[in-house]
Amino acid sequence: MKKHTIKNIEQKKEIWLYIDFPLLALDAALADIENIKAESAIAVASVQKNVRRIVCCNSYAQKWGVDPDLSLSTALAICPDLHVLSRSPGQENLLLHRLALIAYQFSPAVIINDSGIWLELSGCDQLFHGYSKLLQRLHRQILLLSVTATTGIAMSALAAHLLCGQQFQYYLPNEDEMHRNLMTTELFKLPGNQKQQNNFKQLGLENIGDLLALPRSALSQRFSAELLETLSLLNGEKPCTLKRFTPPIEFSDEIQIPYGLHNKDSLLFSMKTLLQRFCVYLIARQCHCRKFVWHFEPLFGERQSMFITLSASNNNWSSLLTLSRLQLERLELPQSIEKISLFSDQFIDMPELSFDLFGDQIALNNQASTLMDNLYARLGIEALSQPSMSEEHLPEKAGGMSPPNRVTNTNYPTSKAPQPLWLLTNPVRIQQRNHQLHWKQPLTIVSGPERLCGNSWQTEQQRDYYLACDSKGARYWLFRESMNKQWFVHGLFS
Amino acid sequence: MPNKSSLKNLLSRQDTWRGRNRSLRKNIITTGNNSLDRLLLGGWPVSALTELVSQQDGIGELSILLPTLKHYADEGKLCVWLDPPYQPYAPALVNAEIPLDKLLVVRSKDSREWLWAAEQSIRGNALLFAWTNRAQPSYSALRKLQLAATESLVPAFLFSPPAAIKAHSPALLRIELESMKPNILSITLHKLRGKVPGAKIQISLGDVITERTFLDRLPVNINYPQGKKSDYPLPLKHKVQQLNT
Repeated sequence: MKKHTIKNIEQKKEIWLYIDFPLLALDAALADIENIKAESAIAVASVQKNVRRIVCCNSYAQKWGVDPDLSLSTALAICPDLHVLSRSPGQENLLLHRLALIAYQFSPAVIINDSGIWLELSGCDQLFHGYSKLLQRLHRQILLLSVTATTGIAMSALAAHLLCGQQFQYYLPNEDEMHRNLMTTELFKLPGNQKQQNNFKQLGLENIGDLLALPRSALSQRFSAELLETLSLLNGEKPCTLKRFTPPIEFSDEIQIPYGLHNKDSLLFSMKTLLQRFCVYLIARQCHCRKFVWHFEPLFGERQSMFITLSASNNNWSSLLTLSRLQLERLELPQSIEKISLFSDQFIDMPELSFDLFGDQIALNNQASTLMDNLYARLGIEALSQPSMSEEHLPEKAGGMSPPNRVTNTNYPTSKAPQPLWLLTNPVRIQQRNHQLHWKQPLTIVSGPERLCGNSWQTEQQRDYYLACDSKGARYWLFRESMNKQWFVHGLFS
Repeated sequence: MPNKSSLKNLLSRQDTWRGRNRSLRKNIITTGNNSLDRLLLGGWPVSALTELVSQQDGIGELSILLPTLKHYADEGKLCVWLDPPYQPYAPALVNAEIPLDKLLVVRSKDSREWLWAAEQSIRGNALLFAWTNRAQPSYSALRKLQLAATESLVPAFLFSPPAAIKAHSPALLRIELESMKPNILSITLHKLRGKVPGAKIQISLGDVITERTFLDRLPVNINYPQGKKSDYPLPLKHKVQQLNT
């Protein structure tokens, strides 16, 4: 019993992973730029106190001696070939949220920081068969966005932040190791002002272990209440109350193309990127998409929109790209596209898949809906229809055509008399020569009549339906109107 | 070394001969009519293109496929009707117990779209009924459909006009449909692997004469006009085999 209680307590312990993105400004600036050589020295600069300073730079720039906080003029003097990009906080924020969306696939507790994200990983190992595999997959997904990431792992969020190293680690240290790492962490990393740091030096405190060894009562007399709170957070005594990340209720993303794209094939690469991001969003939200819209914005003129409707839910980027490509073929676009954006706000919860013994049924349904979507995308909605029924007496109203996937009731009473498989949309009047019916050739009545009446309160229509045939054995559905005694052919018994 | 999945795809093809199995036509589906099954060596070939050349619309060319249509619709498969010549009449389909939500009517604008839609439907494992109203597809276009059909799990049916019978066709099965008597469909075999062409059968499409007919009271002739085709016979229901639907 006691063992069981201890186990429960152990299970509740949190494991925090902090992922730092040291080159976030550079990665965000490079995200939409394709024509820069990877081997060139690149730096991001921003205005700080009226001086343009380097925010971060790549390793090639660092080899030249360019460092963060260096003024731009100095950096250019050191490295004349330095490629300087302007910092874009908006792009950084977008990239950070994109990374948080990826992290959300691995843990339900994600917190966004200024240049990094926290994940609470306890219990998440089961789905990924171990923490090492989880960390490897997470890193792989981050690398797909070409973002540099380093990590720190600890029992509390703040400790994980402090323990963040120089590389992405795939190994989860045990509890003692995490504790030891925290205790040996130097105090200058602890958040606080300069005065506090000076006090640490005066007291001869070098690392966090030294600080935590002191009694709390002594610390409360010498330091502010903020430090004690920080230590509580560091120890995990106080839970992390930072706001948890949740995916937005609608998806909206865009790609700017500074040089413009002139043909449809070249649009597909950007569309693929956006759809991959969209699918990350769908997986994170555990939902499927029913409809999404593309916007293509030219430099001059109005933007073109393209709506993609799915007959069944889907969150596979390749099939969404196929549908988009097929529909794009029918769209007339302006000369040059400067911006592509993707928007969706129509989702359904991911259905719980139930497989039969061989898993065949699901594949079948997917095939049918994929085929319907492909036909819709290439041929347009006007090319597709399904037979439908309504509670009317006159055949042209009882049986019609409706757009696909519109659920219609078929539980209406139908005539027991033979009915044709083909219906002429508009009844064709037939000639009568010397009491002989003619439609293309002489017809002879075989059976009938069946009397059908229309809505008598609107227009009184009484028809007597007969089955007729011609000399080649083709069978027709004829009717004779009671009012004007005219004969019409209305269908073929195929 | 061949890829495992490509080997699997190859073995799943219906035209791959394997070991002791002497029959290439192992994958068939019954037509719902015994004499038609005998004519076609068991039934409609699955994973193949079947061409039906009908001498005229309205002779029962679609009725013989209703059991097959119902079978695949009940299995949950989509049935694509590509460019049908008329509008399908929903109450008649409901009477034949065919779920309407499994039928999809597709209208193409040109022959290029027609071929694309037909191929997509076959590759999407849908039951395809395609009509060639616009122009008879070329041999290469039909060959493309036949090749696509070999990799699918359902049959594909092509309805061709009478003129098509003179042209070569890559379809695995080719039959001609005509009717000289109402409700009696005459089927001539033109092409089927493993059988000599020319075999002919007649099947009945059922009795349609109702008891409440008072034809003699009609103000029109109920017999076929004299001189055009004398003593035009009405269907004889006992001399031919009924369609087993």
